[in-house]
Amino acid sequence: MDTKWKNRKKAISFIIFFLGVSLAIGGFAGILKNKPGSVRFWQVGKLLEDDYQRSGRFRSYIAGRLENLLIMASGGALGSVSTYGDGTSYTFYNYGGYEWYDGFRYYEDGGYDDDAQWEWENYRYAQEQYIDSLSETLDGIGEMWDVYSNILAGLTAESGENAGKELESLREEIGAFREELESYRMGLRADRAEAEAEASTLPETEAGKQEGIEKANEKIARKYHDLIKGDQNLLYSVSRDGKVLYANAELSAENGMAAAPEGYNFLLYFDGEKVRIWKDGKEEDVYGDGYYREEDGTGAWYVPGYRNFPADENLKNVTVCMAVAKDPFLYVKGAYENGGSRQYDNTLYWMNYNTASSRKVLLMDMVCLTLGLILLLLSAICRKNRREAEAGIARFLGKIWVECKALYFCGLFFGILYYIRRASYYLWGEWEYAFPEYYTMEGLSVWGREILEALPTLLILLCFWSLFFLWKDLKYNKRIWKNGLIARLYRTFSSGNLNRPLSKRMAARNLAVFLCAAVFGIMMFALAVYGRRGYGNARGIWGIGAAAVLGVFLFILAAYLAGKKNMETARDLEELAKCVGEIRDGNYKDFGGQFAGHDLESIMEQMEDIRCGMEKAVDEQMKSERMKVELIANVSHDIKTPLTSIISYVQFLKQEEGLPEHVKEYVAILDEKSQRLKNMVQDVFAVSKAASGELPMQMEELDFGKLLRQTLADMEEEIGRSPVVFRTEIPEEAVMIRADGQRMYRVFQNLFQNAIQYSLEGSRVYVSLRRDGRMAVASVKNTSSQELEKGKDFAERFARGDRSRTDGGSGLGLSIAQSFTEACGGEFGWETDADLFVVRIGFQTI
Amino acid sequence: MGECVLVVDDDREIVRAIGILLEGEGYRVLKAYDGKQALEILATQPVRLVLIDVMMPKLDGLSALMRIREKQNIPVIILSAKSEDSDKVLGLSMGADDYVAKPYNPQELAARVKSHLRRYTSLGDIHTGSRGGEIRNGRLAYRTDEKILYADGEPVKLTATETKIVELFMHNLGRVFPAEEIYRRVWEEEAFASESTVMVHIRRIREKLELNPKEPEYIKVVWGIGYKMEKQEKGN
Repeated sequence: MDTKWKNRKKAISFIIFFLGVSLAIGGFAGILKNKPGSVRFWQVGKLLEDDYQRSGRFRSYIAGRLENLLIMASGGALGSVSTYGDGTSYTFYNYGGYEWYDGFRYYEDGGYDDDAQWEWENYRYAQEQYIDSLSETLDGIGEMWDVYSNILAGLTAESGENAGKELESLREEIGAFREELESYRMGLRADRAEAEAEASTLPETEAGKQEGIEKANEKIARKYHDLIKGDQNLLYSVSRDGKVLYANAELSAENGMAAAPEGYNFLLYFDGEKVRIWKDGKEEDVYGDGYYREEDGTGAWYVPGYRNFPADENLKNVTVCMAVAKDPFLYVKGAYENGGSRQYDNTLYWMNYNTASSRKVLLMDMVCLTLGLILLLLSAICRKNRREAEAGIARFLGKIWVECKALYFCGLFFGILYYIRRASYYLWGEWEYAFPEYYTMEGLSVWGREILEALPTLLILLCFWSLFFLWKDLKYNKRIWKNGLIARLYRTFSSGNLNRPLSKRMAARNLAVFLCAAVFGIMMFALAVYGRRGYGNARGIWGIGAAAVLGVFLFILAAYLAGKKNMETARDLEELAKCVGEIRDGNYKDFGGQFAGHDLESIMEQMEDIRCGMEKAVDEQMKSERMKVELIANVSHDIKTPLTSIISYVQFLKQEEGLPEHVKEYVAILDEKSQRLKNMVQDVFAVSKAASGELPMQMEELDFGKLLRQTLADMEEEIGRSPVVFRTEIPEEAVMIRADGQRMYRVFQNLFQNAIQYSLEGSRVYVSLRRDGRMAVASVKNTSSQELEKGKDFAERFARGDRSRTDGGSGLGLSIAQSFTEACGGEFGWETDADLFVVRIGFQTI
Repeated sequence: MGECVLVVDDDREIVRAIGILLEGEGYRVLKAYDGKQALEILATQPVRLVLIDVMMPKLDGLSALMRIREKQNIPVIILSAKSEDSDKVLGLSMGADDYVAKPYNPQELAARVKSHLRRYTSLGDIHTGSRGGEIRNGRLAYRTDEKILYADGEPVKLTATETKIVELFMHNLGRVFPAEEIYRRVWEEEAFASESTVMVHIRRIREKLELNPKEPEYIKVVWGIGYKMEKQEKGN
């Protein structure tokens, strides 16, 4: 429950943050995009102005219109005036639909000192062009006329009397078309004749020219008047010397506002010197301190009457009266004879409309911004939860492949470029001019604004959030490139996920190589087919070729990596085999840990564990053996001390004279048994030391045969006293082995003593030495006097031929022999065959 | 009364047994039952030889030995139940003159005591160094001119062959002779069944000059190679 609530809190806090930021950015961007250029961002009142008459556009529109009207009143050339203020521009070098503004010509000729001259030239030029074009059209029509005439003639000749119905109808159609052409030609000819007549009537004298210009200007003015007079949103009346020249309504403003008709709340009156403006019945301050300024950007009225911008002398007796509708309407002119209805200028209507709609949009943007800021404040309160949520999102993002992210950002980038390009070609073109030094920061800011305007708000938000999450991703997920296709591929070949089974890792590696090879193969195949067929363009070939090269690269890379990895594994296997061998040989040396990250790491680790375990076990065993030896040493020492006394006093008893015979016998038994005890103690000590490997050895090269002979010679007396005969078969030549002579003497001494002791009376003991390959094997064979128990381990400590333990042996003879032989590096073996007891001792010859 | 011998052992019975043994040989026996006691007696009595056990209460044998060696040069024989070679080496290197493992052979012990006393009193200081025509090795001395071997200053009765073998060994102390070579040089014949012949003689020689023929100190078998006269590190 608690965690659930916590999760919810996290989600809610992040959603608040998300909405807040989105709304704030959206609102801000919207305001930046939709606000009028002249209004600053923080001028909230102006941004929300609902009266279109207060906008800068309105002012410049009205000022422009006034200027046009003043030009018309003073008989100037309208064409030189461009009224950009109202968002439209008019070009009035117009003759019969031909318009041009040949700025190039104007500049190249260095301009005309006389405006009138220029106007005239332009006018004449337009006229000429018009006549020329009419002539050209007429020529074209004439050619067509000829073509159709020929076709018609051909058709007539071909068909003759038996012309079909279809042919007849075709001929009729062509005939009708020819007649249409004819009538059109007639009309054009009439136009041309009129234009030429007009051109010819214009006098070439200076006065005539002036008259012509005046005429032309007036003609243009009339035309302009015709264009604008239908827009009843702006009523105007231009008079000169009290005589109304151009007017689209009855307006008289002699007494200020009095003449404003119903529905018109803006009134402008130019009295020949100054402009007076009334709005909603109140007079506005037009001139301020009487100086015209542009730089403060407040949108001063661009009308004559300032001290630095006085009215022309020409305008002394001109009065202009203008009235603007409070709520403009859309005025449409029905001009069906010219092919449909036409809208009048209607600039004011659209201005009002746009103001209202943009105000709505701006209002919404502001609400968004405000709401967003409030939400941001809210989210600042629970920012701890939000950060947790961000961490969670970052965790999720961390799971996405980095290539996907890169692809996404590429897409985003090209999306932005696409929008910029779609919005404005020039914006695109300016891309390269963005950095030259003449491009000031102001220019850059304008450009940035244009880009901002070009991008939809949604895209901007997308950009922002993308960057935001990228930042969070980078912040929370260290090394985001670790999770990706390439990284995965890399990992497959490097240490890889060592938790996965080895077979799967190897399979993945092989699959990667196979896939790369397959891509390469397919590309090569495609290239071959493509090239052979010969179709397709060069680009296709290049594309496939590039892909094939990439395939080769990938293939070689994958093969190299896989090979390297396999090589490493093979080397590790070798090492592993060596290790196994070493351990088998009882060498528990540490074999180093240079397998980190390798395929066989875990196996090697396990091997190491086994090795450690064995080393420990062996150590433990050695320790326990040593303890045993110590124990035996202590025990034997403790036995020896009383034994010393026993032997000493038995000795004195033996020397005592005058003892009864049976007492002497007892003393003899005591003597013998004490001696045996002494031997046993020594043997036990020796055998336990030998078994624990604690016996010091003096290895030297010696002659095995000589050793046997010496031992036999040493025991000659004993043998001579015994009831058995020794038969020897020892080669004369040296059989060199490596052993501790003293110990081996003990071995054979024990073996021979055993043979003497346990052999059947009168039987033979065979002692032989043979070379068997690299081995020298000595064997002692004797016939047991007792029946040999089958399956009994005679070399076991305290094992003896008979169970009674009454004879002289310590029971350790064979055991000592075996321990000593093995301590010398020899092989000790014994076997029984019926009553035959055989001991074999083998050494490697050198 | 004979020379004074100090017997030190924590086992009173052993001390008593050795006392009986040595008194039978005509020595005066002093008894101590730990190292401290031994040192006290040594400080007051004119002791000529010490028999000392290693493992004893209060002051162990080896420490006592070191203290004795600080002042006196008398023969010290260690008598220990420890029969390891390493124990022997340790004891001898600490300054002991001999090392007898328990359980000892009474005759051998008596012989050793006698030998050490003889060398210390009669020979030790008088005959220092090697005189002309005499080869010395431990308690043995061979006079080349007389062709007589002396053990502890007393001539050893050897047969002619035995003397030849001893001469060969004494002239080549420490060198190992294979049986064949001994045979050739002593009998001056080609070797035949030399091993047992040589061995018989060597056994006899040992019985005459070794204190314990079963554990010879001088004439040793180098098993699988031959025979040699051990060169004694100790001795004069």
